[in-house]
Amino acid sequence: MAHVPQWVRDLTPSGPQGSEILAQERDGSAVNVDQLKTFLFGQEALQRKQKVLKVLQSEKVFEKSQDYFEGRTDKFERALARAKKLRQLTVKHGWNETEQRSANDLISEPLPYGLHEGMYLKTLRDQGTPEQHEKYLKFAEAYQHIGCYAQTELGHGSNVRGLETTATWNSDDKTFTIHSPHLTASKWWIGSLGKMANHASVMAQLIIDGKSYGPHPFVVQIRDLKTHELLPNINAGDIGPKFGYNTMDNGFLLFNHVKVPHIAMLAKFSAVDPKTNRYLKPSSPTLVYGTLTWVRSTIVLQSGSVLARGVTIATRYLAVRRQFQDRDAPEWQLGENQTLNYTMVQIRLLPLLATCFALHFTGKGMMALYEANQKKMSQRSSKEQQELRGAGPEETQSGSDLLADLHGTSCGLKSLCSQTAAEGLEACRRAMGGHGYSAFSGVGHWFLDYVPTCTWEGDNYMLTQQVARYLLKSARSVLKGNEPNNDTTEILSHYLKRQDVGAAFDILGKDEDLVAAFAWRSAYFIFEALRQRDELKQSWNSLLVQFYKLSRAHSQYLVVKNFYETLQSPSISSELDQETLTLMHKLFRLYALHTLESESSEFFTSSACTVSQIRLARTKAVMQLLEEIRPHAIRLVDSWDFPDFQLNSSLGRYDGKVYEDMFYRASELNPLNRITVDPYPENATLFKKDESRQLKGKL
Amino acid sequence: MSQPDFSANLKPHPQANGAATLAKERQQSSFDTNAISKHLFGDAYLERQARILKIVTAEKVFSKTNQANLSRPDRYKLGLARGKRLRQLMNEHNWNDDDFLMAEWLVDDVLPHHLNISLFKSAILEQCNEEQRAYWYPKLQAWEIIGAYAQTELGHGSNVRGLEATATWDHQTKEFVLHSPTLTASKWWNGTLGRTATHCVFVAQLRIPKRAGSEEFHSYGPHPFIMRVRDERTHKPMEGIIVGDIGPKYGYAPMDNAYMLLNQYRVPHDALLSRYATVNRETGEYVKPKNTGAMYGQLTRGRSQIVMNARLVLARAVTVAVRYLSIRRQFRDQDASDQFALEEQVLNYSTVQIRVLPLLASAFALHYSGAAMQELYERTRGADAQKESALNGLQELHFTSAGLKSLTTEMAADGIETCRRAMGGHGFGGGTGLIQLNNDYLSKPTVEGDNWMITQQVARYLLKKVKDLSTASRSTTASRLDASLARFREHSKSPPQLSGLSDARSILEAFEWRTAFLAFEAYESREVKKLPWNSLLVEFRNLSRAHTQAMLVVYFYEGLRGLDALPSSTKAVLWDLFRLFSLSTIEKDAWQFQRSGAVATKTLDQLPKEVLALMQRIRPHAVRVVDSFALPDYLLNSDLGRSDGKVYESLFHRAHVENPLNRITFNPRYWEDELVMGSKDGGQILSKL
Repeated sequence: MAHVPQWVRDLTPSGPQGSEILAQERDGSAVNVDQLKTFLFGQEALQRKQKVLKVLQSEKVFEKSQDYFEGRTDKFERALARAKKLRQLTVKHGWNETEQRSANDLISEPLPYGLHEGMYLKTLRDQGTPEQHEKYLKFAEAYQHIGCYAQTELGHGSNVRGLETTATWNSDDKTFTIHSPHLTASKWWIGSLGKMANHASVMAQLIIDGKSYGPHPFVVQIRDLKTHELLPNINAGDIGPKFGYNTMDNGFLLFNHVKVPHIAMLAKFSAVDPKTNRYLKPSSPTLVYGTLTWVRSTIVLQSGSVLARGVTIATRYLAVRRQFQDRDAPEWQLGENQTLNYTMVQIRLLPLLATCFALHFTGKGMMALYEANQKKMSQRSSKEQQELRGAGPEETQSGSDLLADLHGTSCGLKSLCSQTAAEGLEACRRAMGGHGYSAFSGVGHWFLDYVPTCTWEGDNYMLTQQVARYLLKSARSVLKGNEPNNDTTEILSHYLKRQDVGAAFDILGKDEDLVAAFAWRSAYFIFEALRQRDELKQSWNSLLVQFYKLSRAHSQYLVVKNFYETLQSPSISSELDQETLTLMHKLFRLYALHTLESESSEFFTSSACTVSQIRLARTKAVMQLLEEIRPHAIRLVDSWDFPDFQLNSSLGRYDGKVYEDMFYRASELNPLNRITVDPYPENATLFKKDESRQLKGKL
Repeated sequence: MSQPDFSANLKPHPQANGAATLAKERQQSSFDTNAISKHLFGDAYLERQARILKIVTAEKVFSKTNQANLSRPDRYKLGLARGKRLRQLMNEHNWNDDDFLMAEWLVDDVLPHHLNISLFKSAILEQCNEEQRAYWYPKLQAWEIIGAYAQTELGHGSNVRGLEATATWDHQTKEFVLHSPTLTASKWWNGTLGRTATHCVFVAQLRIPKRAGSEEFHSYGPHPFIMRVRDERTHKPMEGIIVGDIGPKYGYAPMDNAYMLLNQYRVPHDALLSRYATVNRETGEYVKPKNTGAMYGQLTRGRSQIVMNARLVLARAVTVAVRYLSIRRQFRDQDASDQFALEEQVLNYSTVQIRVLPLLASAFALHYSGAAMQELYERTRGADAQKESALNGLQELHFTSAGLKSLTTEMAADGIETCRRAMGGHGFGGGTGLIQLNNDYLSKPTVEGDNWMITQQVARYLLKKVKDLSTASRSTTASRLDASLARFREHSKSPPQLSGLSDARSILEAFEWRTAFLAFEAYESREVKKLPWNSLLVEFRNLSRAHTQAMLVVYFYEGLRGLDALPSSTKAVLWDLFRLFSLSTIEKDAWQFQRSGAVATKTLDQLPKEVLALMQRIRPHAVRVVDSFALPDYLLNSDLGRSDGKVYESLFHRAHVENPLNRITFNPRYWEDELVMGSKDGGQILSKL
């Protein structure tokens, strides 16, 4: 450790101490944190987290103090060490999937086995035949094969049909030739591929006898199982540093006429008949919808916690931070004001706090709907089609309108929620002013690791086209006079009935009217878009911006509705005491009204509200809610239950020792301070003395 | 790699031929790139850029190839080497300060020595008396000493009056005792001070004992003291000083931002920089500053440079986005009948245009505003600082710079991120060349006045203007702002409700009307209804934003009005950009324009269509317009934004050839602790712990 003289050790922060401030904040609110966190996550998940946390904290490799200082190579190497240790622990303790997920959440960095576990195993399980499970899955589950999922290419992302990699069937020797005809055919961005994988599940255009049958998955070994060197005619590696995700080896991969056996093509749904050389069609083309819906629901559910992490850090820090005296404060009231007391800070932070709950409840609502539907489907499929399993082709089956609705809207929610969380994190960081820029804030790197979520699983802008397509289809059905069969068609037909009477929503007085106003605005813009497309025959491209806004409007409605319904659920009053419940209600109103006033021109244009309602919402209702929620802010963020280990933040510490921790990390953990430099331009020496490696070695 | 590298001969798919695409893009537009470059930057600037570029690209230490992979200490080391080399080059080539700054901009790396040539230098220039300046200035110019500027503390940023460090006059020894009484008094964030500096200007609360030896003091607020931080020979901190680097940040990796604590550190009487205030050496009396307003000068200067810089940052992000998104193709048009058509250029999608093209227009808005601000600053500096009128000018500048600083840094910071996301997957990668730009630039919304905090200054000024209007006679109105406020007061019952926005002047009118409306509304809330200041902060911020947007529109308009010599087709594109900037700004804040009666509701409903049409008109010129920013490939350091369009070749080269991670084979087997294959490291990281 660096020499720290006694006079420095004796120093404390001036004024009220951070720990005292947070204690006072906690005393000043009666929100029942234990109750609320149980309501959010459930007892079981909370206990699981504590159990896993204890194990991780006893392993030094998970100690995070040097994380913020490392270069790319060291960072990756440390992540690899962590991944190995985590796998060893998983085996040792027999952790199941939820326990592993909990560990990953706590470690909070992408680990290099991530895509092996997340995608490769899943692809083999879902798309492999029993024979292929025997040949590939068995070894993958034992981590003798480390795999990845190689779909995206250098020149092709969202448009899977445009992939260039080919898999050409050789009828003479019953093999496929995997080949990359151009540079842009190189697989790109593939997680766990760059350095880790010895196998890849490769999406390639299947070609039989000169005819293309579209992209299909093939298992290809790419590295030697012993030496881990690349096999001949395969070129792969890591694509280099990125904004975030630098603990992951996102990779590139090129094939130079690589032959694989017939069994390499994952054949559960479609195959090539080796005897006839003919293509066997998949039994159902829409099979993946269920999985995609699940993935997107997960993104929505996580977005609440993702954002809550930034909000927790910012709220705690801004309660401890003091700046300026209130301009109107009386002379005798000395000392600077808590930054969190300024309305311009509250207006950035507290609506985001409300948003965390809104997103979380929306995700939970989607999950519940998805699971209920899965259950229904599996009951039916066990009767009808054994092999279809859960992820059924809802579009082709009647009676699954709920899931069709969920699928249609899940794209919009994925887009809105991931965007909201990412932008919210950056807003939290900026609200923290200067110290928000320090790596020790813990928000910056979290944002950078999260932000690709806006692009993957469907780019946030691209996806809204699917939403629009679905909503327009629903509107056409309603116009034809079909009976409403899900929520979307219901709000559309309600709007149709009322459009000549007009809306008179009491958005400031009644919660259900607030929800109805969001529904009205969405319906108005759906019919408006439909008119442009069907009546005015506008080109698809010219409507894309409108579609984006439409998807956003409809998704905001869904979030408001989910939040509202959560508060209406019969069980809630037994789970939360009255005071906490009242506060949740205020958070609902803050989210809804703040969203409404941020989008005020749309609410006005659609006649969902009047000008004076919007003005009152802005100047009165929202400001009032900020004031009422402010005293509970600390307890509300406490209820998200982030251990300090997970936050890895000086500013967001539970105990409020912000300045002590900033100083400690800077003065004692910082390798740069083990270096004495020569600053003068005429001297070639850069470092007179460098003891920074010793610090690293000691850890 | 042992096997032959078959990838060496691979070419991108024919439809992904970036060079051909860009050539076609450049062919289809007659926008006069060279003329606009000259118009924007001037011949001298472009000549300097070309000259310095040649020199720095010839030096290995300025190669950017591997810097994104380095650890924090290595990144600092590289920065240190670059700083030294640049200063040597300055001698070798007889560079002046502008040449040096150009080199720093092209190398695009913050230098650990930077504070020596920025804040330290301006403190010496502006706060020293003549004797002090004569002593210190040549030393810092020669880099014999390396200076820093230590103001911000761990517990105190924007509120300078709240600083805790003290400077106590010891009459006996004729010294000041500099001291840090608490942990939060530690200096914090101060660039160059952490490891590099030999000296700094230390800002501390000046205290003079009421009587000799008394423990009671008169306090005189924050004052600057110059002090030695490190020993000349060993470069170790002086006795009584604890100083170091504060650790990694979002960006600014090569900069050693500092913490520093002083334990009763003594400096001589002439350490107090005494242009404006001093302590009489013999009597121990405080001699008051002649005018306090002059303290604003330094901050204001910093802000004007930030605005000038914001336009280039935005230009840079947009250049990368426009070039890449022209080359990138994705999906066929939904309405296309030809099944075998090429995939669509991503820049043709309106959801992409709506994100990128208004930013292209913004870059021009910022350019003209920055230029106007620079001019205003120079004018104020030219005046005699003691004169009343000059002081007023400084106040006006201080106020305008606060609003522009706040809005333009936010536009640039958000603009980088918007461009980045518009580029989809590759936008997340190192090939953008935007990682470091983004991470470095994100400090700007906070430094030199937090973007939210300083909007209060603008609001306060506007409130005062409204108040003056209601008390003073109309003949005193001078500025454009005064006139628009007066116009509003006179016609407030009959708002313009503009129904057409094709005429540029009616656009200006709409913006100014909205500002006046919000200013009077805020005045009503504060001065008439006497609402608490704190409850109005959000309103104030909206007001500041509205006023600053109006300024941008006005400056943009006036900038274009002066363009006579350009070909009319080129001018037409610029006017379209003006309209796109204005109309898309109105669209985003449509509610305010509607509510204030500045624009008729029906017109607002037409806006999205109008914006779409403008984007379609601008689209074919986009590549040529970004070319006119004349940003060298070396600066961009971007595979996606290369001027030759070789996006994919360059991305692959960076990954395959330049990436140090690919020189290592790792051991992926979890049951073996070894990390690097064959190294028998036994999982060094694991075992060492």
